[in-house]
Amino acid sequence: MAGTPFIQKTPMPGLRLSAGITLTMLSIVVLLPIAALLLQGASFGPANIWEVVNRERVWAALFLSFRLAFFAALFNLVFGLLLAWVLTRYDFPGRRIVDAAVDLPFALPTAVAGIALTALYAPNGTFGQLAAQFGWKIAYTQWGILLALIFVGLPFVTRTVQPVIAEIDREVEEASATLGASRLHTLIHVILPMLAPAALTGFALALARAVGEYGSVIFIAGNIPMKTEIAPLLIVIQLEEFHYQAAGAIGIAMLLISFAMLLVINLIQILSRRRMGHV
Amino acid sequence: MSDMITDTIAQTGARPRKFRAATAESTPVRLALTLLALAGVGVLVVAPLATVFAEALAQGWAAAITSLGNHDAQSAIRLTLWVTAIALPLNAAFGIAAAWLITKFDFRGKALLITLIDLPFSVSPVVAGLCIVLLFGANSLVGGWLVAHGFPIVFAIPGIVLATVFVTFPFVARELIPVMIEQGRAEEEAALTLGASGWRVFWTVTLPNIRWALLYGALLCTARAMGEFGAVAVVSGKIRGQTATMPITIEMLYNEYLSVAAFSMAAALTALALVTLILKTTLELRHAGQLAANRRH
Amino acid sequence: MHIQIDEIAKSFGSSAALHGVSLSIPSGALIALLGPSGSGKTTLLRILGGLEFPASGRVLFDGQDATGMSVQERRAGFVFQSYALFRHMTVFDNIAYGLRARPRGKRPEKAEIARRVTKLLELIQLPDIGGRYPSQLSGGQRQRVALARALAIEPRMLLLDEPFGALDAKVRKELRQGLREIHDETGLTTIFVTHDQDEAMELADLVVVMSMGKIEQIGRPQDIRARPATEFVREFVCA
Repeated sequence: MAGTPFIQKTPMPGLRLSAGITLTMLSIVVLLPIAALLLQGASFGPANIWEVVNRERVWAALFLSFRLAFFAALFNLVFGLLLAWVLTRYDFPGRRIVDAAVDLPFALPTAVAGIALTALYAPNGTFGQLAAQFGWKIAYTQWGILLALIFVGLPFVTRTVQPVIAEIDREVEEASATLGASRLHTLIHVILPMLAPAALTGFALALARAVGEYGSVIFIAGNIPMKTEIAPLLIVIQLEEFHYQAAGAIGIAMLLISFAMLLVINLIQILSRRRMGHV
Repeated sequence: MSDMITDTIAQTGARPRKFRAATAESTPVRLALTLLALAGVGVLVVAPLATVFAEALAQGWAAAITSLGNHDAQSAIRLTLWVTAIALPLNAAFGIAAAWLITKFDFRGKALLITLIDLPFSVSPVVAGLCIVLLFGANSLVGGWLVAHGFPIVFAIPGIVLATVFVTFPFVARELIPVMIEQGRAEEEAALTLGASGWRVFWTVTLPNIRWALLYGALLCTARAMGEFGAVAVVSGKIRGQTATMPITIEMLYNEYLSVAAFSMAAALTALALVTLILKTTLELRHAGQLAANRRH
Repeated sequence: MHIQIDEIAKSFGSSAALHGVSLSIPSGALIALLGPSGSGKTTLLRILGGLEFPASGRVLFDGQDATGMSVQERRAGFVFQSYALFRHMTVFDNIAYGLRARPRGKRPEKAEIARRVTKLLELIQLPDIGGRYPSQLSGGQRQRVALARALAIEPRMLLLDEPFGALDAKVRKELRQGLREIHDETGLTTIFVTHDQDEAMELADLVVVMSMGKIEQIGRPQDIRARPATEFVREFVCA
């Protein structure tokens, strides 16, 4: 890198204009607001931040948010792989419609999803009544939160994995079969490793989305402190009471944990790609 | 059901005898996996969708339509459409500029720039709203100055627009960058050697090549912009008839136990979402070759 | 192993790929299926390997009907045109794959697998590449690894689909010799598909010339060259 110019010379026009728009908007919309949060945290001081975060109720909310987001992403990893496989490899009437329906969680506003899931799984809702017969309560419990998080993260793994499945060289699967491997052995030892990097990307996206999710969760959660209160809701509560510093402290904690998680996932991904030989 | 499985086999190559292809699962396994996938999509996606319309129409069409006709509902619908109409061109302009910068020039720190553009995807919408409140709120340095000069941002429409632009920030750029990388720079360079000006190159060479990807990104952006809740909830102040968007109104109505009104508003928003979904699917079918979504890894 | 093909027919949709092809392949022979693209030669090879199934007709291995035998049971060492190496596995793991995929009772011990893989790496004259990934190999090396992987399952026959198709001219010549040597050493009935008449004539004991889903002529290279049976063979072989 040393010795190369900062920008390679090129006859292509529009450098100043495109760089100007990009950097200006990036700064105003994304960087300055995030910097404001970090600055606020810096002036508040690590000790004070720790004091805010180190309360039972905040710990409970953070733990709940990250734990349920992880389980929801895990469910979506497995179900997303299944869905991607069925939609790419099998043909059945209505496949196109089902394929389009997978995107619905992206298109449907989260508040709409929230009230719809609540209506469906509340004790007097269609599925809620069914569950109640087995003595199982879904809405207003952690199950309800998990359900909402599964809903918002559903498309990620499917959409990242589908194009990879479509590109698999059939001869590789045939090679495995000619070498005597059963279909299950081929799926586990040949196909799954090929899908792993894309599936991991989808998992990370679903996880990031679920950790910060608010709209679809608050309706179905019941929002009982220590039990079904998610971390983003704590921020909203602090803001409504104009406790900007406490809200900022929880926000910084969430931001840091999210980034740490994404960093770990990216590292795993780089390692797994390197193992495949294409760096 | 077994008919459709044999149909599949018939399509992949006539195999009148009952031999199984080396690269296919057995019919019972296919059937089981297909049913599992359909059941999952049915319970997780289709059932909530159906519920929205069923609850909206619980007291008939008249009640649903009346609830959408009142003053607050009308103002919420207008506000949401306005915010979307402002946020969309801002994001499209940013997306095009960023994609041009990243794909037409070589410079240091490009990977960092791409990471920063993607940043809003890994920030909770609530935290995004919080950031905007901290930067532009009345008791911040910048916000205080703006309020003093009669231009409040938080608890006003500019804040809602800013929050919406934040959460939809990467959509257009992420669609355009892979497509423009794949198309390379040769066509633009050719146009330049033929004496075309920069703008002419963009309008006559680049834009026609990326128009479907641009539309695709714009659709994703629109769907998210109309439905954004968390970030807007934090910055809007939820003033009825003034800063309450459609999703915020849904929350207020729902918390007041006005189920039909809440679900009617939800159904209106869902109908808009379905339209974008149909347009998006059509685009995918017609212009698969030009969209990045089909090769995203 | 002796291979008998009886009146095999196969079609894809409306277009016929093979029209009642019959062929007897003596044990231990090295056979070339020669023909232009669309002649049905690859389809015939894939039917022998159990990757496609005929609409009618029979395949006999050593006199026993193998028409409906599954691809796993056939133990046909198949080398694909793209080599189809598993790119997330090292060369060693690629070659060991077939042995490890066996059911628990028939699976060799770890040390035995390692011993066999090492032997195969020596056979293909690449003893030191066991730890590399396919993406780190040259085209010729990949082809030889694919061959070793097919040989690892102790196949009853060796089937190769355009084995030299993806290589440049110089490497192609070297590897032809390599295939001949491996064939002579193992004594396996070997069938390879090619569209290159030089390759077929130089390498094979017996050449089967195919066109439009039919066999035009079967014979030793010198006989085909000397006495082409049809106008097609004359044009294709002597061109």
